[in-house]
Amino acid sequence: MKLAWQEMKRNRARFAILGSIVFLISLLAFIVAGLANGLSRDNAALIADMPEGQFYMSGEADGTYSFSAIDPSLQSEVLQSRDGSMALSIRLGFLNDADGKQLGVAYVASVSEEENAKAKMLPTVHPGEVWLDGTLAEKGVAIGDMLTGDASSDKAFRVAGFVDGQKFSHAPAAFVNPDDYAEMTGRAEMQLLFVPGSPGETPAGLEAFTKGELLGSIPSYKAEQLTLNMIIVFLIAIGGLLFGIFFYMMNVQKMGLYGILKAIGVRTGALFRMMWTQMAVVAGIAMLGAAALSALFAAVAPGEMPFRLSGSSMAWLAVLFLVVGFAGSSVSGIQIKKVSPLAAIQQGEM
Amino acid sequence: MATFELRQVAKSFPDGEAEIRVLKGIDLTLAEGQLTALVGSSGSGKSTLLTIAAGLQEASGGEILLDGEDMTKMPPEKLRSIRATRFGFVFQSSHLVPFLTAEDQLALMLDVSGSRLDAAGRAKQVAEALGLVGMEHRRKAYPASLSGGEKQRIAIARAIIHRPRILFADEPTASLDSERSHEILGLLRKLTQAFGMSTLMVTHDGEMLPYADRVVEMRDGRIEGHTWRTANGIGT
Ligand SMILES: Nc1ncnc2c1ncn2[C@@H]1O[C@H](COP(=O)(O)OP(=O)(O)OP(=O)(O)O)[C@@H](O)[C@H]1O
Ligand SMILES: [Mg+2]
Repeated sequence: MKLAWQEMKRNRARFAILGSIVFLISLLAFIVAGLANGLSRDNAALIADMPEGQFYMSGEADGTYSFSAIDPSLQSEVLQSRDGSMALSIRLGFLNDADGKQLGVAYVASVSEEENAKAKMLPTVHPGEVWLDGTLAEKGVAIGDMLTGDASSDKAFRVAGFVDGQKFSHAPAAFVNPDDYAEMTGRAEMQLLFVPGSPGETPAGLEAFTKGELLGSIPSYKAEQLTLNMIIVFLIAIGGLLFGIFFYMMNVQKMGLYGILKAIGVRTGALFRMMWTQMAVVAGIAMLGAAALSALFAAVAPGEMPFRLSGSSMAWLAVLFLVVGFAGSSVSGIQIKKVSPLAAIQQGEM
Repeated sequence: MATFELRQVAKSFPDGEAEIRVLKGIDLTLAEGQLTALVGSSGSGKSTLLTIAAGLQEASGGEILLDGEDMTKMPPEKLRSIRATRFGFVFQSSHLVPFLTAEDQLALMLDVSGSRLDAAGRAKQVAEALGLVGMEHRRKAYPASLSGGEKQRIAIARAIIHRPRILFADEPTASLDSERSHEILGLLRKLTQAFGMSTLMVTHDGEMLPYADRVVEMRDGRIEGHTWRTANGIGT
C-alpha cells in the first residue's frame, strides 16, 4: 500500500533501526542454525547421511546402542529377507600411528548380504585393513600407513583408503572388518540392524528406532542440538516480540492519526494492511541481507568450523520470522481496531 | 432542495444510574450552497450535534436524512463510505498526516473517496484544489514545515478535493489569529458557494458570523433560534 511506503520513506531512520535489529537477530538465527546443522553433521554424519529407514536394537538394550546385541540368527534372517539391510556396530576408541600418537576414532563394522548395495553407503573392509574418515588424511595419515588399535588389543591395521564425511559422536569413523571388530571387542554380536525404506513389521525381540531417534540416543548429539535449537527458538521469539513492541509504540504514537483517517473514511483493514506491509518490507529486507551475509560467512568460514546452512533451512527460518512478525504486529494492531475517530478529532494537534 | 435534514435528533450519555441528555430533539435542515454557523455556550452540545450529523457517533433518537435515507439506520460500512465520498471534514486542529506532503494529503483523500481518475486527472485535481486554497507553491511541503494557517488551508483543500456534498467544520479557526481566521472563513464561504456544498460550522468567534448565511444558536441541547442573513457584502 502506498501510504505504508510513504511513511517509511519519511521516517527512514525509525524503520532502519528496526530493520537493522531484525537483521542482526535473523543473522544470528541463521548462523546458529548453520552451526546446529554443521555440528549435527560433524557429530553424526555416519548416521545422518544414511538413507531413510529403520534402525533396530535388541529390546534389552533399552535404547542404548552400545548395550545392544542382535541375535545372530535373527540378524541373518533380517539381512536375507530385507533388501539393502545391514548390521552395524560402533565403538569409540583410539588408533595409534607409527610415532605413538593417539587418534580418537569411532570404530565401525558392518555386515550385509549384498556387499554391493552396502558399498554405496559404507566401505567394504578386508581383514587387517582400515578405512578412515577424510579428516584424518588432513592430520597426516596416508594410505599404506600402519596403525595399531587401542589398548584393548594390539591389532595392527593398514590404511586402505579414505571416505568423506563419516563421523560419529564427533570422532572420525574407522571402518574395520567385522571379524577384526569382534576380536577387538570380544563380542560377536552386532549392535544395530538397519533396514532402508518405509518401516515394516518390527522383528520379535527388537526395538525400532527412526534415524532421528537413533541420533538422539547419542548423548552429545542431543545436548548440542537441544541447546542450539533453543537459541534459535529464543531468537525467533525475540524477533516476534520486537515487531510487536515496535509497532505497538508506533501505533500508540499514531492513534490520533488513525482516528482521523478513520473519520475521513479510511477502512480499518487498510490501516492493518499498512502495518503489515511495513512489517513485511522491513523483515524482508533485513532477512535478505542476513541471508546474503550468512552465505558469505559460510563461504569464508574456516574449514574447522562446522558450518552448514542450507537454503531450505534459511527459508524455513525466514517464514517463521515473518509469521511471528505478523503475529507480533497484529497483536499490537488491536489498538487500531479500538481507536475511535471521535476521540481523535477532539484531541489537539499531532 | 433539502438534501440533509436532522429530525428530532437526541443524544444522551449514561452517567452512573442517571443519564445526561446532551441533545434534546434537534431539527435542522442544511441547504445547498449555504454556510450554517452553529453557535452557543460551551457544553451546549454543538460538537456532539456535528459529530452525530457526520456519522461519527450514534444518535440516541431521531432521524438524519441524507437525500431521504436515514443515516441512523445504516450499517457502519455504509456510513464509512458516505464519510469517504459525500462528506468533508475540517477540524479545529488541521489533523494532517505528518508523513505526507501537501499534495499527497490530497491524493490520499482522492484514493479514500474511490476516485477513478487516471494519474494525470488526479494531478490536475490536486493542483486545482491547492490553487483554490492558495497553496500551490507549498505542494511539496510536509505539515511540520507549514504555519497553522497554511495547515488549515491544506486541511480545507483535503476536505473538498473529492467534491463532498456536505462539509463539517468544528471551530476551524480556533487555533488561528484574527487575520488568518478571516482568510479561512472567506475561503470556506467561497468554496461552499462555488461547489454548492452544505456547510455546517461550529464557531465561538462572533467576528466570523458575517460569513455565515445562517446562524443557529444552541442552548442546553436545544436550538434557540435561527438568524438568516441576506447578502452581507463580506467575503466571496
Ligand atoms: N462521550 C461523552 N460522555 C459523556 N458526556 C459527554 C460526552 N461527550 C460530550 N459530553 C457532554 O455533552 C455536553 C456537550 O458537549 P459538546 O462537546 O457537544 O459541547 P460543545 O457545545 O461543543 O462545547 P464547546 O464549545 O466547549 O466545544 C457536555 O456537557 C459534555 O460534557
Ligand atoms: Mg465543541
